[in-house]
Amino acid sequence: MSRIEGGLIDRSQTFRFTFNGKTMQGHAGDTLASALIANGQRLVGRSFKYHRPRGIFTAGSEEPNALVQLRSGAHQEPNTRATVTELFDGLSAKSQNHRGPLEYDLMAITDFAAPFLSAGFYYKTFMWPKAFWEKLYEPAIRAAAGLGRLSMQEDPDIYDKGFLHCDLLVIGAGPAGLQAALTAGRAGARVLLADEDFLPGGRLNAETLEVDGMAGHAWAAQASAELAAMDNVRVMTRTTVYGAYDHGIYGALERCTDHLASSNGKPRQILWRIYSKRAVLAAGATERPIAFGNNDRPGVMMAGAVRTYVNRFGATPGQRIAVFTNNDDGWRTAKDLHAKGLEVAAVIDSRDRLPLLDIPGARYVRGAGVRDTAGRKGVSRITLTDDQMEDIDCLAVSGGWNPNVHLTCHQRGRPEWRDDLCAFVPGGTLPAGMVVAGAANGALTLAAALAEGEAQAQAQLKDLGIKPAASALPRAEDEPCQAAAFWHVKESAKRAWVDLQNDVTVKDIKLANQEGFRSVELLKRYTTMGMATDQGKTSNIAGLAILAEQAGKTIPEVGTTIFRPPYTPVPIGALAGRARGRDFRPYRLTPSHEWAKANGATFVEVGNWLRAQWYARPGEKGWRDSVDREVEMTRGSVGICDVTTLGKIDVQGRDAAAFLNKVYANGFAKLAVGKVRYGLMLREDGIAYDDGTTARLSENHYVMTTTTANAVLVFRRLEFARQCLWPNMDVHLISTTDGWAQFAVAGPNARNLLRKVMDERHDLSNEAFPFMACGEVTVCGGTPARLFRISFSGELAYEIAVPARYGNAMMGVLMEAGKEFDAVPYGTEALGVMRIEKGHAAGNELNGQTTAHNLGMGRMVSQTKECIGNVLSQRPEMNRDDAIKLMGFKPVDPEKKLIAGSHFIASGNKSTMANDEGWMTSVAYSPSLGHSIGLGFIKSGDTRKGEIVRAVSPVHGVEMDVEICSAHFIDPEGERLRV
Amino acid sequence: MSEFHLTAEPPLAGYDKAFTGASLKAPTGLALVSIALPLGGEPAAKKAIEAAYGCALPEIGKACATPRMAAHLLRLGVDQAFVMFEHSEPDAERVVSRALKGAAYTTDQTDVWVALEISGPKARDALGRICPIDLHDHAFAVMDVARTTMEHLGVIILRTDEECWRLFSASSSARSFLHALETSVKNVS
Repeated sequence: MSRIEGGLIDRSQTFRFTFNGKTMQGHAGDTLASALIANGQRLVGRSFKYHRPRGIFTAGSEEPNALVQLRSGAHQEPNTRATVTELFDGLSAKSQNHRGPLEYDLMAITDFAAPFLSAGFYYKTFMWPKAFWEKLYEPAIRAAAGLGRLSMQEDPDIYDKGFLHCDLLVIGAGPAGLQAALTAGRAGARVLLADEDFLPGGRLNAETLEVDGMAGHAWAAQASAELAAMDNVRVMTRTTVYGAYDHGIYGALERCTDHLASSNGKPRQILWRIYSKRAVLAAGATERPIAFGNNDRPGVMMAGAVRTYVNRFGATPGQRIAVFTNNDDGWRTAKDLHAKGLEVAAVIDSRDRLPLLDIPGARYVRGAGVRDTAGRKGVSRITLTDDQMEDIDCLAVSGGWNPNVHLTCHQRGRPEWRDDLCAFVPGGTLPAGMVVAGAANGALTLAAALAEGEAQAQAQLKDLGIKPAASALPRAEDEPCQAAAFWHVKESAKRAWVDLQNDVTVKDIKLANQEGFRSVELLKRYTTMGMATDQGKTSNIAGLAILAEQAGKTIPEVGTTIFRPPYTPVPIGALAGRARGRDFRPYRLTPSHEWAKANGATFVEVGNWLRAQWYARPGEKGWRDSVDREVEMTRGSVGICDVTTLGKIDVQGRDAAAFLNKVYANGFAKLAVGKVRYGLMLREDGIAYDDGTTARLSENHYVMTTTTANAVLVFRRLEFARQCLWPNMDVHLISTTDGWAQFAVAGPNARNLLRKVMDERHDLSNEAFPFMACGEVTVCGGTPARLFRISFSGELAYEIAVPARYGNAMMGVLMEAGKEFDAVPYGTEALGVMRIEKGHAAGNELNGQTTAHNLGMGRMVSQTKECIGNVLSQRPEMNRDDAIKLMGFKPVDPEKKLIAGSHFIASGNKSTMANDEGWMTSVAYSPSLGHSIGLGFIKSGDTRKGEIVRAVSPVHGVEMDVEICSAHFIDPEGERLRV
Repeated sequence: MSEFHLTAEPPLAGYDKAFTGASLKAPTGLALVSIALPLGGEPAAKKAIEAAYGCALPEIGKACATPRMAAHLLRLGVDQAFVMFEHSEPDAERVVSRALKGAAYTTDQTDVWVALEISGPKARDALGRICPIDLHDHAFAVMDVARTTMEHLGVIILRTDEECWRLFSASSSARSFLHALETSVKNVS
């Protein structure tokens, strides 16, 4: 029987689960791996490249082999490590990467081809013909080699994110972490203790060592209970701190419901951003293997993991077990196995020394190694370097322990080599605020780990100005932990595996070195060692030790690859969190959105805004019908458009006029109260930045409008100018974009319509309220409003603003009042058509490459004042006579449709880059003119009116003759807007 | 006199929902007016505020309930504060500007923002899912106020009681804001 007595599982709770369809039983407190072991399941998967049979290798998150596909249907999750999967009733798991049954994988044939499939095989082999790589070779290789499969359905689970704050973050709840958290918690600090396991205690749960005279796991349980009872401490189990970022910020993944059959509508996982003042990294250490022939056979396991399964889970991976070690710790496995009544066949120590412990019944082989293993689908015999054989069903291997330094390196810290441990420990440069304690710091023994946990926490408390409570260090022993530098068994003739997850052998590393891939970073990429879900946690050090040996260097000279977040895999779903579907990002609605929705609007996303694009009427066959009608009816009578999305900035202060005069390129110092002016902003380098209008409502009060796209950017820019460039100006800014619902009312009947909604005392006559007038008014019986006589369409037009809460009602009122004029609502398409007809520049023309000179507004840029951009706008190159100019374009054949993005080539010239003279920025069908029109930039355009050039669009394969004309297609004299 | 009448439809009007452990509510009839202290005129402006509201302008990041005019003053920056008070008419700015007798610049912010109040024993946990600032008692006490972002939305957060926070965000994205809060509450309740 594989299930033995003892352990920390709850045998009163029995869970049924399936593996490859076969029903098995486990208990609460089991992992899937421990339950599989308890059920005698040795073979759990096939290897990545050669489809070799593989078994459970470790008992933690470092597992390279036991990757399974969990659950089914849309919940299916590939590449899940069985060693950290908590068992629950009804769990279903499948093995991965095989064709046919796991036991008889048809793809195992690749293993026979192994001599041809060494590192770099693909790069060397599939080079010709080039076109075959993407279409044939890569798909075929991917199909043969790989891990699990996605369900290809939408993830039905929900995920969340969150923020946590603490004085001290303790990463890892092993002995060092628990003692650090106790020290800080008792001192009153806000402590966050996170551990990836579901049971705090770390190795204490897997060992038979005592703390304060009690079993280690009992002490851990007691410490966790004490911490959980403290208001100032939060203990987070099932939570992996996966990354150390700037300023004491850490990323953590909490697996909230992965241990349950169903999430019950709650987030399955939460991605936490932890803001810590200080941190103690107590991430423990990972045991590393020794490479020898056929060391990947199921049943060959890490010695510490064998101990974990036996001690913590009451499950034994074998009945007759041998231990192969290069260090003292391996002996503990032999001792614990014997204490559990299991048969220890042999202890093989690579060191030539006296036995460390007396293991009754076990043969002791000193100064030796395991050369080879045999056994179908699992180890049944080992051959030693002295050619002796031993029949066993499990081989526990210990190659020493590597401190988990990963998080110390997330900000480019480099670990340092310690000869006495034969391992890398954290280097001198750690992320700000972090210290390391316990095994992660090289304190591999229990007493040392506890002491370091306390000392490091105390040091952090002192830094924070918190007085530590009196020392209460629990008693524990320092167990033997000497290790030898022994990485692989040289006598092995068979393939010796270094990286089990990527099927990298000692030979592959030698080959990489021979072929010149001698940097550890190149080795990783050439052989794929250290990639994928385990990131080489068990393989890296052995790999670079072998590389060092081959290259004749020391291990520290070879160094490690850079450790980057995440420490263990983070699902994409958790990274996305709740940002999915409609709520991927915030959306903004205009005040008249409901009215628009009820009146047939089609919406378009403009930044975060949803704007009405057009309003279809019954009988209209396509969007063009609607847009043409909206333009014609607006120009014929009156149209209404919600223009709330334009940015609005309230500018107040004694120096507001002077301020505006500095941020706009044209003059603003003398704008009269009650007037609006068009303003052009430049960047510091003289390129056009944004445009809009600014109205002066009173002596010290202005309202600026910006383009929709730049509303926030302009506000930020003005704040910078106010606070940093001219802090001595009395000027104050606040956004009112969302506060006012603003409507363009345009067309010959605009005034007549507005008269119906304005309160009577307001005189709207051309004399009293001329073009570019503005004022604070009231509408509909006293509702405050602002009226601006400005026009984007080129018609007699106004923009009227009411407090946003009235926006929806105001749209309705304007339409109701406009009935007698056949008023029409128009959307952004008609707005665009009319502005192109009028020759107004918009985002397509203010694209960050064009100047006022290009836009035909060069003379607006004042040289008699100091303002942003005017100095550099005078650079000669930006003011050449043959510079591109904004012009209008019409097709010579009026039936043809212009294409935005076309480039202009002079008649008779070839269509080459050298002959490129400019490009078409905006096009539209003009219902007013009955043909397609466009705006664009062309060299010396202002002197070429009437010239025919070619508009070429290689993307569409279209070119046509177009005539250069004025950009003002409609009412060039501006008579309409002044009536 | 115009024959037409306008009906106010503030976003989230009437929203009031209880979840397990937390409630969400959109307060109605709340007015917000910004006060900007003129450069060089700060002492006069502060005096005017004290005269009008019966208390000194709070320090940056603090708010207070005023003894007079039943308002709250929220100090958001060196030269910026908000007055929050019950007022349904669209002339809140005029009310504040008159009270201050022109000693500070005022701008109506009522319709710029939408308010949501979150309360209950699970409210802080819910906020912890979207609010990056520390809401621990020691870090954010009753009548503390801060500007921050939640789910990409700019937010003003004011703690009005032990288990109650009032949040303001842009009115145009009210639905996204509500979704952010509702999701957080549902995820922790």
